[in-house]
Amino acid sequence: MSQRFDVIVVGGGPSGLTAAQRLASRGFKVLVVERGRRPGSKNVYGGRIYAHVLDRLYPEYVKEAPVERWVRKERLTMLTKDSGVTVEFEIKSVEHKSFTAYLTNFTEWLSRKAEAAGALIVTETPVDSLVIRDGRVVGVRSGADEVYGDVVIVAEGINRLVLESSGLTPKLQPSVVGLGVKEVIKLGRSEINERFNLDDDEGLAWALAGYPTHYVPGGAFIYTNKDAITLGIVVYLEHGAKLDAPVHELIEEFRLHPFISRLLKGGQLLEYSAHLTPIAGLGAMPDRLYGNGYLVVGDAAGFLLHLGILIRGVDFAMESGNLAAEAVVKAHDEGKYDEEALSVYWRLLNESFILREFRAFRNAHKVLNNPRLYSDYVMLMNSFMARYFDVDGTPRRIWDTFMSSKGKLTLTDMAKDALSLVMNL
Amino acid sequence: MSMDNRKIPIEERLNSNAWDVSQRPHIRIIDPDKCRKCDTKPCTFLCPARCYILSQDGTVLFSHEGCLECGTCRVVCPNNAIEWTYPRSGYGVQYRFG
Repeated sequence: MSQRFDVIVVGGGPSGLTAAQRLASRGFKVLVVERGRRPGSKNVYGGRIYAHVLDRLYPEYVKEAPVERWVRKERLTMLTKDSGVTVEFEIKSVEHKSFTAYLTNFTEWLSRKAEAAGALIVTETPVDSLVIRDGRVVGVRSGADEVYGDVVIVAEGINRLVLESSGLTPKLQPSVVGLGVKEVIKLGRSEINERFNLDDDEGLAWALAGYPTHYVPGGAFIYTNKDAITLGIVVYLEHGAKLDAPVHELIEEFRLHPFISRLLKGGQLLEYSAHLTPIAGLGAMPDRLYGNGYLVVGDAAGFLLHLGILIRGVDFAMESGNLAAEAVVKAHDEGKYDEEALSVYWRLLNESFILREFRAFRNAHKVLNNPRLYSDYVMLMNSFMARYFDVDGTPRRIWDTFMSSKGKLTLTDMAKDALSLVMNL
Repeated sequence: MSMDNRKIPIEERLNSNAWDVSQRPHIRIIDPDKCRKCDTKPCTFLCPARCYILSQDGTVLFSHEGCLECGTCRVVCPNNAIEWTYPRSGYGVQYRFG
């Protein structure tokens, strides 16, 4: 590979491929360097994509993209070993807001879009580091090979091995990431429709907290696809040492929980996967998202919004790829790719929903990092319900039942926690 | 065998995946002595593929074959004793669903 490119993209995931597609369609000579056998073969996520960015960037997606089911049902459960408190929202609608999908398929679809626009995708090639000369990124290195470009878009994902080895960001800290572990389980379409009370293309997104992580900060999720479900847990790594069981056992205990296993009867495991996920909002961002000759997008930039129940990664990834592409076009028009010219990326991010939302939720992680949310409150809600519905001839007034259910939580703690949740999420 | 009422052993779960494992490990323990002396050994219970096992004599043994390429071991290691990179040339786990 002694060729020169206008733009080199490190990583063929949703952010990198969107950047590649946007730039190639505007006539830039784009190379995407992907470590997997094919784009998508190393990608893992929870299970749902919010569609608003696709409406704008790939309006044809409704017909083309590998959508599994449109999410019409949202469910949140505070789960203990033998009880659960659930809130569910369901909507009868034909609007396309979010859908479940396999990320491998979806990424492959994005790669076909990028290729159709003229981008070259090279697979099976992990990038080792950026090539930096006189303080400026001029290309990428893989083994003994170097390839050069005017600008490099780093879309390498949450493990920032390339940025780290190039001295552009410090080592990833456990406090800003969660470990997601996931199982894809084949069930059959009619079984899913019946057991989750769904129509053919309707999907369920289900978030759970408490028992699935043994009450350690984190949570669990279940998404319905056409004929399979995805089930997983996320553990905040900062709290990983508090686990009383290995993480590969936790996910199985969750799957075998009586309320879950009965929904999965007759299921068959198709895949077992794991991936890190940014959880700390702005705190998961590297020091800089642009510099002389490079831009950072997607998970590598920390662009995953984690609000406990609401988790959004792919829409932020694609939009950051889109904005990086726009920044490259603007820098190209100026005739230079130095730090100053590329700083337009930061301005575009600021004007976009990306940084608007990240700033609005800048304290979200601090609030969600509160261990009480995953233990004491899960217990409180469950013991309140258990007492309240346990009719035995003694009067169950709400306040008395509440006071006798709250365990070691104090009213002051509760008031503080409630206020900080409402103010920051 | 049905998975309805039993935990699927980790080896069996890993076997449900598509693999093309390289002979060449992409994991290396830089200083086994650090691992022996490590009091928490988070890799042994946070690796989702159970790639790190504590042996009888207190050393940490690893295998790269079942690695799901999440990078957790590297992030949680308190001693920076694990060198973890991505496998070369597309080797390793081949996710079909992701």
